[in-house]
Parts: sequence; structure tokens; C-alpha cells
Amino acid sequence: MLTALVCGTIFLGLLTFALPKTADVTAKWLGVAVAFAGFVLVMFLNPWSPPPEESTHWLSYPFSANYHLGMNGISYALVQLLTLVTFCALLGTNVPRQRNFVALMLLLEGTMLGLFLARDLLLFALFWDAMLIPVFLLMIAWSVHPSTAWRFLIYNVTGGLLLLLATAAYGWLYGTTDVIDKGVLPPLSDNWAPWIFIAFAIAFLVKTPVWPFHTWMPDTYAELPAPVAAVVGAVQSKAGLYGFITIGLPLFGPQMWRFAPWMIALGFIGLFYGAFIALVDNDSRKVVAYSSLSHLGLILAAIFVNNQYALRGAVLYIVAHGFFTAAMFLIIGYVESREETRMLSRIGGLARGNPVLAGAMAIAALAMLGLPGLAGFTGELFILVGIYQAGFTWLAGIALIGIILASAYMLRVYQGFMHGPEKPDLPQRPDLAPIEVWALVPLFAALLFLGVYPITANYPDQAYSLVSSTSMSLRAPSGSLTHVAMMTGPAVWGPHAKHGGRGAGGEAPSKLEKK
Amino acid sequence: MHLLVPPFGNFDYNALLPLGIVAVTPLLVLLSDLVMPPGEARRGIAVGVSVAGLLAAAYVLIEQYLSHQFGPAFGFGFVLGGFSIAFSLIIIAAALFSILMVPTERDDEKEGPVCALMLWSTLGAMLMSGAADLMTIFLGLEILSLALYCLCGMIKGASEIRKREAREAALKYLILSSMASGFMLYGMALLFGTSGSVNLAALQAVPATNPLFTMGCGLFMIGVAFKIGLVPFHVWMPDVFEGAPLPATAFMSVVTKAAMLAVFARFLYSVLTPAGHEALIWPVWATAGLSMVVGNLAALSQIDMKRLLAYSGIAQLGYIMAAMAGTSTLGMRYAIFYLGAYLFMNLGAFSVVALVSRDSEEDGHLSAFSGLGTRHPVLAAAMSFFLLSLAGLPPTAGFIGKILILASTVAAGYVWLAGLLILGTAISIYVYVKIIRIMYVHVDLAHIREIKPLSRAPWIGVAVCAIVTFVFGFYPVALHDVLPRIR
Repeated sequence: MLTALVCGTIFLGLLTFALPKTADVTAKWLGVAVAFAGFVLVMFLNPWSPPPEESTHWLSYPFSANYHLGMNGISYALVQLLTLVTFCALLGTNVPRQRNFVALMLLLEGTMLGLFLARDLLLFALFWDAMLIPVFLLMIAWSVHPSTAWRFLIYNVTGGLLLLLATAAYGWLYGTTDVIDKGVLPPLSDNWAPWIFIAFAIAFLVKTPVWPFHTWMPDTYAELPAPVAAVVGAVQSKAGLYGFITIGLPLFGPQMWRFAPWMIALGFIGLFYGAFIALVDNDSRKVVAYSSLSHLGLILAAIFVNNQYALRGAVLYIVAHGFFTAAMFLIIGYVESREETRMLSRIGGLARGNPVLAGAMAIAALAMLGLPGLAGFTGELFILVGIYQAGFTWLAGIALIGIILASAYMLRVYQGFMHGPEKPDLPQRPDLAPIEVWALVPLFAALLFLGVYPITANYPDQAYSLVSSTSMSLRAPSGSLTHVAMMTGPAVWGPHAKHGGRGAGGEAPSKLEKK
Repeated sequence: MHLLVPPFGNFDYNALLPLGIVAVTPLLVLLSDLVMPPGEARRGIAVGVSVAGLLAAAYVLIEQYLSHQFGPAFGFGFVLGGFSIAFSLIIIAAALFSILMVPTERDDEKEGPVCALMLWSTLGAMLMSGAADLMTIFLGLEILSLALYCLCGMIKGASEIRKREAREAALKYLILSSMASGFMLYGMALLFGTSGSVNLAALQAVPATNPLFTMGCGLFMIGVAFKIGLVPFHVWMPDVFEGAPLPATAFMSVVTKAAMLAVFARFLYSVLTPAGHEALIWPVWATAGLSMVVGNLAALSQIDMKRLLAYSGIAQLGYIMAAMAGTSTLGMRYAIFYLGAYLFMNLGAFSVVALVSRDSEEDGHLSAFSGLGTRHPVLAAAMSFFLLSLAGLPPTAGFIGKILILASTVAAGYVWLAGLLILGTAISIYVYVKIIRIMYVHVDLAHIREIKPLSRAPWIGVAVCAIVTFVFGFYPVALHDVLPRIR
């Protein structure tokens, strides 16, 4: 099943290359159909009874490695995100030479599916490097300034090589790389573990990206064609965070907590650094890029505060961030294709002529700034509660400031584009076509759904048992922020509450605490 | 007199059977060249007979490997084992792909002599892969080199400038290679002086403190490093590669290096020990590290495809040497695997260059590749695949080879070498992907000429190399029994 999902997508992507050159429309609809089929297939899967794992022996020396695919709660959340965003991005695509474009997008989706479903470090490293190639090709062939592709590729491949080195070292020390989602494994020796963890961490930090490894990111997101930017900014950037949760927590627990202060510090620096640049940048795509730096910094900190609410919030926010970032990139792409610019200083008053566009952008911007009822709010709330619960009271307060800044820069973009005086030199173009609206609707629906029913945070995953779940519920005064989170929290609702944070945490202390 | 002719038996001659086949085939090629009129048929015969001879030799080698007929032959002059067979197979495969690049559609070209010289050069290389005494090493080296000097200068139907370049390359190669041979020979003489025997096994008994031994080893290894092209003895290589005709360049880029690497590995593994000869052995890993970084840095600014591949080869050989760091068993297996992977990805790239290069000029300038993605998508895709493999990106043999090298280097305790490997690879990304970019960035095709390959034969090389590079990417076939044992 999982193999069919991964290999099928890659194979159909390659097959698209075989279509005749002129078959742009066929190619697009083939791509949309494949992405949609993938999404439907994923929706039929269930994280509470995951599909059977698929494992085939691959290497036996110098360490044993398997072709091993499997699915846990967090990979399920990311696969849902990936398939839906790819479907929407392909639906909203309108670029020249569409056949090759669609083929590369499908390859991108396939390799990323492989990354999220890989249960073997070597396979993970393989897909990690493989997913860079389609992005690079998309960038050199479709962007205005192909030279920015270098920075993307060299930064990320260097990260990928460190990942490879760490995988090789881990495999040699441990004897096997088939270690993802296997519970807590015996730790490596103290001589090696910190270095291997650092190599993994740098790879993840570059990919996310986190300050100060972010310099490739703004240009990349600005230069990629909008649909690709949507997929890369929304999903590929989550690979690093996914790595911290799925590889870092079980395999490098002690190192994770040892380096946690540094990681939290990097996350918070990114949170403010990104927010402040987003407040002033003239390029709307870069505003979204820097807002990404800001939000992902918060998620990184949430992973490292060692609290179950924060981690559940991080997973929920990863997905929410994916949906609204993808929507925002697609919308800016629509604006670009109409007005031939995306600079805030050159656009104004679009709402009068393009009410649908304005409405769509308003929803995306509100989701981004964390409006209650949309998924961004729920994620942020969980994260803040988690940070507060973990004892970083003052950090939760500081994070709140960063979130307020998000309102400022997102409203700045929305206001600048849609309201104010109309710019006389802007061409008057028609409003969004139905198909462009339909490309956004699933994203908005997902945002709304997760905003009122944040089921993603409740997907079962071993990672949740690896962080501290000390609940402060008894001490929390009624009506406080914590209490609100408790009411909406994972343990209260959902059909499988026994997997939820508070229940599991209260009854069975985590494996980490047992030691 | 009787003592001078030891009783050589069946085994001795069986061990040399593949070499015998490769030695005799060129005679048939030359004979056919003599009796047949120029034209399509003569070209076909020359290439066909050469390929058949090489395949026959490869068949015998595989048979020998599978039946484990290992052992020393001719009084330890030649050691048949997994090591020699693996290297010989790599050399034969490289010769095959190079010979496929030889034929052109012009009638004034003399395919026969070129094929014959290549086969004899292959013979020398195969001899070196099994050589276990200093005399045999030198004998193999001279057979290999003498044929190559001629090959470098043999270019027909080209412009005067091109011919002059080729002659320059041949002369340069002759002089510098002879100098390196001189170093080696002097080193060998000193080594012979310390042990009183030309046999490598006898050198194991020489105490490491013997100054003659140290000097002999040093000179010998400098000569070898010179021929492999390890930094800082690499400067001749790009010049020669650029000037020589394309098939000869392709041939040199793998066969010479593989043969010298076999000698080097046998010397490192059987004569030196990491514990006893630390001062002698660490410079080897240092040159490997330097090669990875310097080779890739120098490749950054190249605009000629052959020069670029020459520098890339220097770096790739650095990776292979890094695999052997600490002279571990696993390291030898992965070095051979990576050498095999390098053979396919490198000669695949050369085959593409052979198809793209125009007329007799063998235009290897990078601009010849611009817009290839539109002009010839299949060729461009194949080239991208080989380049990705050279850069070590999945899903290729280069990727899996690199992780195997990293594992063995880390396992041997050479983490700094693994770090340099990462650094070198990071630089190399730009080198290789630059070409991919040139092929796929949108260009105006109006002023670019159509591709008219000189012959279709390199297509076979492209196809086979692509398939093997892909398959090796998932099934790294690292042979067992490849330690260069002498006894």
C-alpha cells in the first residue's frame, strides 16, 4: 500500500515525461488526477490502525539496512498535508512547458512521501537528497533568476551530506539503520552520540530553516514558481522538524535535552528575526518566507521544551502552517500572474476589482496570524500552553509578542495589496478564475476543519510518550489559558482519547521518566 | 641452466589465460586491418574483434572467480585472487566502453591500430592488477604506458590545431610519466636493496626503521601517486586529458588509475601496516584528503568538459583512497565498489561527450551542452544521471558508494577524512550540477548546431552505464575475497 503510494507517484511522474511535448493540458490533468488519487488513498488510511509496514532486506554490510516503509501519527499528518497541498498546487498551476513541470512536481511529491514514510535511516537519507533534485530542476528551468538555485542546492546538499555521514556513523556504531519508529533504543556511547546528533541537527536546521542557517530560504521561496514554492515552503521545510521529532526524540533523547536550551534560543531568535524582517520587506513572497522562519522557529522551540502539549501543538501547527503558507504562496502567485509584480510598494487597491482574490487572501492572512476558529490558532494555543506548562512562563510571554507581530506583518501585506488607493499603472485584470478558487478551497476547508476539530494533534505517535507529560491541570485555575487548552485539549475530545496527552500522561509515565 | 626455468604448471598458465587472450586479440585486429579495404566492414571488424576478445577475457576471469582458482603464479610474480580479478574486470569494462568511442564515420580513420594499442594497454593494466613483485609491476606499467603515449598522439582527420594539441599532450605525457617511472624505479631499486628480493612479500620482513626502506617506499609511492594523479602530483593530468583524443582520455581516466590503484593498494595492504609504518602511511591519507578538496575546487572553474572530468577524476580517486583509510578489509571492498561505480558513471559521461562532440574537433567545450535538454532530452537525461551520480546524489551508485566509503572511513577512525569528503562533495555539487543547469536552462536554439554524432556506438556505452549506475545504486555489488593477499 505504502510502496504503491510512493513508487506509484514517482513512476507516474516519470511516465509524464513520456507524454508528447504539446500535451500540456493532458499532463496537467494527469498530474491533478494522480495527486488527487494519492490524497484520497491517504484519507482512507487510518493512523489508529496504520497500514502494514513493508520491509525488504537491502544491505547487510557495513550495517544492515532495509527498504522499510511504515506510518505513524506524525508521518500520517505530514502525508495528508503533502498530498493535499500538491493536489491544490497542481490544480492552480498555470506555467509554460507544463508537461515537464507536472512530471517534476509528481517526482517531488513521490520523494517526499518516501521521506515521511521511510522507517530506515538510510532510506530517509536517500529520499532527503532525492527530494532536492526536482526542486532544483524546477528552479533552474522556471524561475527568473536561476542562479538562486545554487544557494538552495549547495546549502541543502551539504546538510544532506552531513545527514549521510551521521547515518553512516550511526549504522556502523549501531549495526543497523532500521531504527525509526522502533521505540527508544539503547543509546550510543557518549563519545559519539553528541557528534552524530549535531550532524543530524545541522541537516535538520538547514532544511527547516532555522536562524542562522536560513540564508538560502528567502531567495528560494521568492524565485520558485508559486506552486512549487507552495509545496516546498509548506511541506519540504517540515522535513527538518519531522526529523527532530521522529529521529531526534527516540534515538538521541539525552542529547536532545542537552542541546535544548540552544535550540530554543535559535528558535526564538528566528521567531523575532523573521518577524522583524517580515515587517519591513517590500517583496510579499519574502514576507511569507520570513514569516515562515518566524513560525518554524516557534515550532522548533516547542519541540525542545519537552512537553507533550507543546509537541502536539507543534505537530498541529506544522500542518496548519503548511496549509496557510501554501494558500498564501498560491494567492501571491495569482497576484503575480495578474499584475506582473509582487512588490508591496507597487500594488494597491486590488480589492475593488478582485473581490474574490481579496477574500481569499484575507482568509489566508487571518489563518496565518492565528485567528480563532482556524487551525493556526489551535496550534499556537497548544504550543503556548505547552511552553507555559514546561515551566518557561516568561518564554510563553515572549512568544506571544512574536505572534502579535505576525498580525502586524500579515495585515500589512493584505492591506497593501487589497486596500488603499488603486495604483494607476497596474493593469486591470479579471478576478480569480473558478479553477483558481477551487485550488484554494480545500486548503481553507482544511484550515477551518482543524481549527474547530484539531484531530491532527491526537494522532497516536510514540514521540508523545518520549516527552514529559506532567500535567498542571490540578493547579490550573479555572478560566485560565491552561484551562481553555484543557477544554479543547487532545484528551477531552476525539474518539480515541486514551491516546491523548493527559490521559496517557497521567496514568503511565513516559519511558524517559522511568529511567 | 636448469634452475633458471622453474617447473611452471598448468595453474600458472591458466592464471595468465585472460591476459593471453587480450594479448592475442590485437594481432587479429591488425591482421584484419591489413587485409580489408577501408570502410564500414573494416571498422566493424576492428571494434567487433576487440570487444569479443575483451568479453572472452572477462568470461574467463568470472569463471576463475566463481571456481576460486586463486593462488600465486610464476613464483609470486603474479597473484591470481579476488583482488586481481575485480580490478581486471573493471579494467576490461573500461576498455570496452572506450573502444566503443573509437569508430567514426570517416574512412581515413585507422580504427585498427587504435583498438590494438588500447588492448595492449589493457593487457599492461591487467598485469599490474595481479602483479606481486616489483619486476612485474614495472613490466605491466611499461606495457600500459608505451601504448598510451602513442594513443595520445593518434588523431586523424582533425584540424592542424587539434593535431598539435594532441601531439603536445602525448609529449607531455611521455616526459612526465617517464619521470614518475624514474621515481618508481629508483624506489624499487632501494627496496630491492633492503630485502634482496623483488618480491613484495619479502619486503614485509624488512624492519620499518631501515632508512633505505623508508626512502624506497617514499619514492615508490610518489611515483604511484603521480600516475594516479593524486594532489599534489596531479598537474599534468588535465593538460593531457584535454589534448588527447576522446577515446584515449576516457581510457586513461579509468584504466590507468585502476591499474595504479591496484599496485598502490597491494603495496599499502601487504607491505605496510598502519601500526608499524605510521609515518609512511599517513601522507597517503593526507593526499587523498587534499585530492578531494583541491580536485573539486579546481574543477569549479573549468569550461572544457575533458578538463573538468579530469579534475573530477582526481577528486573521485581521492574518495576511493579515503575508503582504504586504515587499510581495513571493508575499506578495500568499498574502494573496489566505488571504483566500479566510478567506471560506469565516468565512462557514461564520456560516452555522452563522445556523442555530443561535433565533427573532428571533439568540441568538449561546455557550451556544446547548452540547450541539450531541448535538443536531445534522452541524452541530457542520461548525462544528468551520470553527473548526479558523480556528485553522489540518489538514486545512483555514487550515492550508495559514498555512504559505504563514509561508513568504512568512520569505522577506521578517520573522521577528519570523512569530513574532508563531505567538504569536497559539497564543492563538487556545483561542478556537476553546473552542467545540468547548462543543459536545461532555456536558451535560444537558433544558433546552436544540430547534434550529429560521429557514430552510434557510444549509445551502447550510455545505455549500459546508465542501467548499471542505477542498479548499483540499490544493489551495491561489493565482492568478497578482494583483499590483496600475497600469500
